[in-house]
Amino acid sequence: MATLAKPLGRSHTEEHEDPRQYLMHDPLPRGQMNAMVMEAMHETNPIFWVITGILALTVLFTLGYDWYVLIMVGQGTAGVLRPDYWGVFLVNVVFWIGISHAGTFISAILRVLKIESRRPFTRAAELMTTFGLVQAGLSVFMHLGRVWLTYWMFPIPNERRIWPDFHSPLMWDLMAITTYLLCSTMYLFLPLIPDLAMARDRTKEGWLKQFYKILSIGFRGTEGEWKNLTTAMNIFAFAIIPVMFSVHTIVSWDFAMASRPGWSSTVFGPYFVIGALHSGMAAVAIVLFLLRSTMKHYKYFLRAEQFNTIGMLMLLVSMAWAYFYFNDYIVPWYGGDVWDKLVQEYTEKGPLAYLWYTMLFVNIVVPWATLWNQKWRETPWLLAIVGVLINIGMYIERYIIIPVGVTINRMPFTWRQYEPRIEVPMTIGTFALFLLLYMLASRIIPLIPVWEVQEGQEAHMIRKIGKAEVSTLSDLE
Amino acid sequence: MAEATTLLAMFEDLEPASKGVDKLQQLGLGVDDMNVISGIPIKNTILGRPSAITYVSRIGLFGAILGMSLGIFLIYGIPYLYPLLVGGQPIFPVPQGLIITFEMTMLGLMGFSFIGMFVDSGFPSYTPKEYTPEVSEGKIALLFSCPAGQQEKFIDALKEAGAESIEPVEARHL
Repeated sequence: MATLAKPLGRSHTEEHEDPRQYLMHDPLPRGQMNAMVMEAMHETNPIFWVITGILALTVLFTLGYDWYVLIMVGQGTAGVLRPDYWGVFLVNVVFWIGISHAGTFISAILRVLKIESRRPFTRAAELMTTFGLVQAGLSVFMHLGRVWLTYWMFPIPNERRIWPDFHSPLMWDLMAITTYLLCSTMYLFLPLIPDLAMARDRTKEGWLKQFYKILSIGFRGTEGEWKNLTTAMNIFAFAIIPVMFSVHTIVSWDFAMASRPGWSSTVFGPYFVIGALHSGMAAVAIVLFLLRSTMKHYKYFLRAEQFNTIGMLMLLVSMAWAYFYFNDYIVPWYGGDVWDKLVQEYTEKGPLAYLWYTMLFVNIVVPWATLWNQKWRETPWLLAIVGVLINIGMYIERYIIIPVGVTINRMPFTWRQYEPRIEVPMTIGTFALFLLLYMLASRIIPLIPVWEVQEGQEAHMIRKIGKAEVSTLSDLE
Repeated sequence: MAEATTLLAMFEDLEPASKGVDKLQQLGLGVDDMNVISGIPIKNTILGRPSAITYVSRIGLFGAILGMSLGIFLIYGIPYLYPLLVGGQPIFPVPQGLIITFEMTMLGLMGFSFIGMFVDSGFPSYTPKEYTPEVSEGKIALLFSCPAGQQEKFIDALKEAGAESIEPVEARHL
């Protein structure tokens, strides 16, 4: 039996890990956590305001001035010409809707599944959804051109004496994105109420006190108020998941419903949903890294375990994306339709083939080569770099689908390579506006849901079973 | 309770707060004569309190039905009033109907749940209320009314249960 006495791995004493490395087992008094979050919000250094100023100027010139030019001069200032009527503005719509997906998905699905490491970062992710959808909405208006006629899309009487056609995928899009924007904003607000009440209680007189007083809507935390709030949050957590899936599926149908080579695909719905999650998860990793690096005390709340959770989700979603991409690739490749073949050959061997190879490398090879390792997943800067690369890859993917895709159609005499013009600064503007909104929000909204963190810490206990200390969780809700 | 005094007892933890609720019940207070105010949601069974009644899900369900009706009107009512033939498709198609109806149903469900939370809780409310900011610092408050002149009896009982402080409270602006 001597062989059985030989240890199979490290002994239990070597494997012992300090439970206090996990946020739920390293509680601080609520008052101290409140103070940390409030201090992080209100203590800023001059560099923050310099960056804010630069972003504000960028938004003013790129979104403000360039959009003015686009409206006054016309869509000719953009690179959209036959056959590429759908250009970078629509790439931005799909990209930003994708970014917005992970926020709500992470928050809702992790809440439903009761994944405890979610607690400190759900709000940071939810905020991404709202601000991402703002960029997507603006990009739609940029693409529309004559934005002052937007009301034609609403079912209200107008001079054309016709009503919108709800049979059209573009109308489904309007309905789905509007539903998602409204619901995700409400979903952001609900768990924010108790933290706004905390901010109200800790803020002395002034405009900020009035701001918190109005937004906390008179919340005290009575039994009835909590019951109503948690019931509403539960309804949202379950209901917003199918809405999230529907939104990006419908976005994919904007393309898939057209009888066009490269677009008419039955797998586009789930493929787009997974693509949205791929870019969105990666964006959450970037945001968490930036918050942890720049906000005071956030190292206490955002720990290795949070990055590990996001890293695992990124790896999983990357695998799912590869699976769906292969499905979307193999069927037209095997099918032999001449136009589908032409689209694939143009993508793989045409002048923009380097984009296709870059996309495959950063969307598949990079995450698979790095995120299998727990140590790397738990390294915030590394996860953020992988996140940036994935987002570059996903932007390229949308670029390949939309302007590159429409180049090859059934009328070869119209083929023309798309070159973005005013779209470039305006795209930079959407990124600047997203960052600007996020930075400003970080000064007035508690980005850490303190009450949820405290609730989790109250529910967790370390219990000794045999020779091991194990984590136990009570259901306090 | 013709002449009543409102008191606010503060507790550091759940255990003494639960004992405090017991003491108040033993002294004859009904479940409606007291309220627990806390910085986190607490399961009612932990404190031995009845579950609070909420109408949020019922209001949400009403919203879902309303949203579904609106969705059905948009997809089937509008083509009836303004028929528009596109691409050889039927005027009243089922698949497209499912999409619009689904979106409007979910919007109704979540929108009315949100409104329901406001309506059922009486939000927004900026009138004076009995409250202490210590609640958002992690303390648990027991708010109750007792007959005037019998305060001492209640204060002693709650101190025995582990209350940190028990003081008369007046409604004030939050």
